[in-house]
Amino acid sequence: MSVAADVAVPGAPRLTVGAQAALITALVGALCLALEPMAPWLGAWPKTWVLPMTDWVGTGVSWLLDWIKPVARLFSDIMVYPMGWANTVLNATPWPMVIGLVTALGWYLGGLSMAALAFVGLGLVLASGYWHEGMNTLALVAVSVPLALVVGGGIGILANEVPRLKGAVQAVLDVMQTVPTFAYLTPLLLLFGFGPVVGLIASAIYAAPPMARNVMLGLERVEAEIKEAAIMSGGTRFQQLFQVEIPSASKQIMVGFNQCLMAALSMVIIAAVIGGFNDIGWEVLLTMRKAQFGPSLLAGMVIVIFAVVIDRMSAVLATERKRYDLRVVWAVLAFAVAFTVLFWSSLPGASEVAMLDGVAESVDRGLTRFTQTNGVALEALKNNTLYYVLLPLRIGLDQAVLPFTWGFMWTPAMSAWVFGLGAGLGLLLAWRGNLTGGIVTMILFGMIETGVTNLPWPFVLTGAAALGYVAGGRRLAILVVVLLGTILLSGLWDRALLSLYLCGASVFACAVVGGAIGVASAIWTPVWRVVRPICDMLQTIPLFVFLIPVLMLFQIGEFSAFLAICAYAVVPMIRYTRHGLVDTPEEMMEAAISSGATDWQILRDVRAPYAAPTILLGLNQTILYAFSMLVIAALIGTTGLGQSIYLALGQADVGLGISAGAAMAILALIADRLVQGFAEERRKALGL
Amino acid sequence: MSTSDTPAIACRNLWQVFGPSADKALTEALARSGGDTNAAAADLRALGYIPAVQDASFEVREGELFVIMGLSGSGKSTLVRCISQLLPGTGGEIRIDGENVVGASKQKLTELRRRKLGMVFQHFGLFPHMTVAENVAYPLKVQGVGRKERRARAQEVISLVGLDGREESFPRQLSGGQRQRVGIARSLAVNPDIWFLDEPFSALDPLIRRQLQDEFLRIQGSLRKSIVFITHDIAEALKLADRIAIMRDGKIVQIGTPTEIVLQPVDDYVREFSKDVAKGRHARVASVMQAGDGTRGPDDPGLTTSMTLDAALARCMELYQPVPVRDASGAIVGTVNPSDLAAALQVDDA
Repeated sequence: MSVAADVAVPGAPRLTVGAQAALITALVGALCLALEPMAPWLGAWPKTWVLPMTDWVGTGVSWLLDWIKPVARLFSDIMVYPMGWANTVLNATPWPMVIGLVTALGWYLGGLSMAALAFVGLGLVLASGYWHEGMNTLALVAVSVPLALVVGGGIGILANEVPRLKGAVQAVLDVMQTVPTFAYLTPLLLLFGFGPVVGLIASAIYAAPPMARNVMLGLERVEAEIKEAAIMSGGTRFQQLFQVEIPSASKQIMVGFNQCLMAALSMVIIAAVIGGFNDIGWEVLLTMRKAQFGPSLLAGMVIVIFAVVIDRMSAVLATERKRYDLRVVWAVLAFAVAFTVLFWSSLPGASEVAMLDGVAESVDRGLTRFTQTNGVALEALKNNTLYYVLLPLRIGLDQAVLPFTWGFMWTPAMSAWVFGLGAGLGLLLAWRGNLTGGIVTMILFGMIETGVTNLPWPFVLTGAAALGYVAGGRRLAILVVVLLGTILLSGLWDRALLSLYLCGASVFACAVVGGAIGVASAIWTPVWRVVRPICDMLQTIPLFVFLIPVLMLFQIGEFSAFLAICAYAVVPMIRYTRHGLVDTPEEMMEAAISSGATDWQILRDVRAPYAAPTILLGLNQTILYAFSMLVIAALIGTTGLGQSIYLALGQADVGLGISAGAAMAILALIADRLVQGFAEERRKALGL
Repeated sequence: MSTSDTPAIACRNLWQVFGPSADKALTEALARSGGDTNAAAADLRALGYIPAVQDASFEVREGELFVIMGLSGSGKSTLVRCISQLLPGTGGEIRIDGENVVGASKQKLTELRRRKLGMVFQHFGLFPHMTVAENVAYPLKVQGVGRKERRARAQEVISLVGLDGREESFPRQLSGGQRQRVGIARSLAVNPDIWFLDEPFSALDPLIRRQLQDEFLRIQGSLRKSIVFITHDIAEALKLADRIAIMRDGKIVQIGTPTEIVLQPVDDYVREFSKDVAKGRHARVASVMQAGDGTRGPDDPGLTTSMTLDAALARCMELYQPVPVRDASGAIVGTVNPSDLAAALQVDDA
């Protein structure tokens, strides 16, 4: 890699910031590689340099938790009552009444289609035989959502009223959204003990930030003149806020309500991991562990139904909606009551319906047959991806290439060839005028040779700092180094790199596949018509459910985790890519057409550059999605931070849980800031 | 209560500076420049502050229609927000009916707004979740006026602005012109003495704008409010104003009647504005008349002091000798030479 330096020096004064950053990174990488045999501490951070931060965090947090435990326990004792009530009400109400009520609500909110959705959805839940488990989950949501609404709304209003708090609140909300879901659970477990209350609190905590965010955003976006009109009308601050500003912001607040509901549902299901409550998430987990995929799919379907029904119904609130005839509501309710009363004695119990058990069994059988007949193909797909893509990326070509996997042994000469190829390509690019691209190519070749988890830490720090400097200047570079340094010192570095590798691989796959699908959807409307409902669906499904199908086909392991992450994280990439491309202003398109550009030229020269900032934002979302799924995927076997968090939960090790959670949040935060920085820079360059 | 010679609004040395602890920065800048306001403003700008209003002093008399005119960014909207105390004002004094409102307590300001002030906004500022009637009645609602009473009063002002029959509509169902009528009705609901209008017609298309201007003049003709009217349109200013204040970069550069602005601009900036204006439509005969019963020819085309130059010139197209000018009562108060009329219409090529 020293060749690069020779080439670049003559042109040194003309180097761009990007080229300089890439050059320094390449140099540090080359140095580390060269010196590692003499100074092994350059490769792996020595164990003796690790500070026992995890223990400190554990001690500190435990002390803090002990201190607030009495209050927490009191709170949990109080919360038992509303939970009990919600449970009793939902479970004791005859199922025809529940179905009737939800159907009537569906009609009231969205007319016939919504009523049909509600009716068919709940009908399926009943038929699945998981009615009571489902109602238990809903009961948790029903209690945690009001809690989250009050807390989130309160925080939002407070931040709006006291501008000095706004920055701090914003920062806390940012952090709360990057901290992985499982990481919440460990300290809560210590505080509240085992039991459903933990799930309740966790879901309330998890669901409050979107509400707070949307309330803040909504209030902020109320037109200045509307606020002024309220002042000039002589309203007191209280009147201004509650009679004018909050109603004016109602649409945005309803978006918050929708997100709050979905977050609560998602978290309630994840919280089932700690058990103690006979709910639908627990059912999925149980059946999954027993490898009963039919029932597990059935239970997963119940979750999906809840998610879809709740999402679609509450999303209607945030739109301009029509009024539907109230008489239909009464008619549906009357019918439900009549039905219940007339057939009371002959009605089967909700859990006895279970009409789909046969289906579940046949699914199970069919699946077994499918995996048996296609076992070779599935196995081949899995192994090929593992051996030829994931493993080299993880530990490098020099270790991944073995006679057992690739059919031959890796030799130092081959390493030289790889480096040579990289250097050649890099030089070619540099010679064609793209110096930065050339150096980055060399760096990438070096990384494939070494493997992400074997990267020397000085190289990672320099590389991240260089990216930070290019994306957001000195401050971002320093922030990145300090944050990564904390992980390094805490001894979680190896695990962080493992997480980074899996995340990176999935994000890369998502970027390629999602980008391609996004482009296709932007060009051909029929494609979008097919892709769109799939995207909607994937975004509504709680994370947990993604695990079921991959587990069925590919068993526990890294490849399954990889697939689950990709399935979940690909959606924003598709959406943003399409949106960015479709969003090109009509005038620019017309200008290009009248200049005589072909469709392909327009796409390449006009639409793609214009869409770049939007696509980068999509990539950013994809990264964040990948990180949040990474932790859930720990359930089906990943290594790295996700696994640590999950283990910590099992052992109630609050120090490890919080530290690993924080490390994960740090990685997500850094990725977020870097990509946002690049997006911002692009936007500025385009004058947007 | 105010006596007739107390101005409705009096501003003295009013400043609005944006930036961290602007009060202190302004005091210091004024001290450094020894009271030279231009130097102080330049000083503040150099320090990164934005002096949006600089040392504004003017009075609005009772029943007067006072127009503040300027290009965007000249500080006119900031100025009206200072007077209505939507912005605190960094320095100086604002008296409304003789009472200083700078630094007044919250309750006092609320009280003032409930009784005396009304405001109309450029983009209407209507509450999207309330019907027309609810929007108009809102200023009464916050005071605790009963439902029946406020409904009746709202109906009155809705009729005044010609929106009968649209009471139950929501703002989104109305056209721009209708929306601004609601804005006007709402601002009149408490029957305020002082009426602020911040570019009320700028967001409307030209035809509707003219229609609303005429209606505004009709309403003002019967209500005689003390008005501060903001606009960036010189034609609108000349059409509506009793007096005009022209603003530039936060400073008031000239205050005068429409005729004065058109015929005696103080500097090139003001002249630039009036350049495209058909002066004959706005300047009056009085401005070019020689007072007294001077020498005059035999013709008497019947000119009066309040006639526009255009109208006067039309009557003496073929006359060369000075002609008499009468006042409203018909008495001869002066003479005017037809050639002076023509000269006054000349567009100056400054």
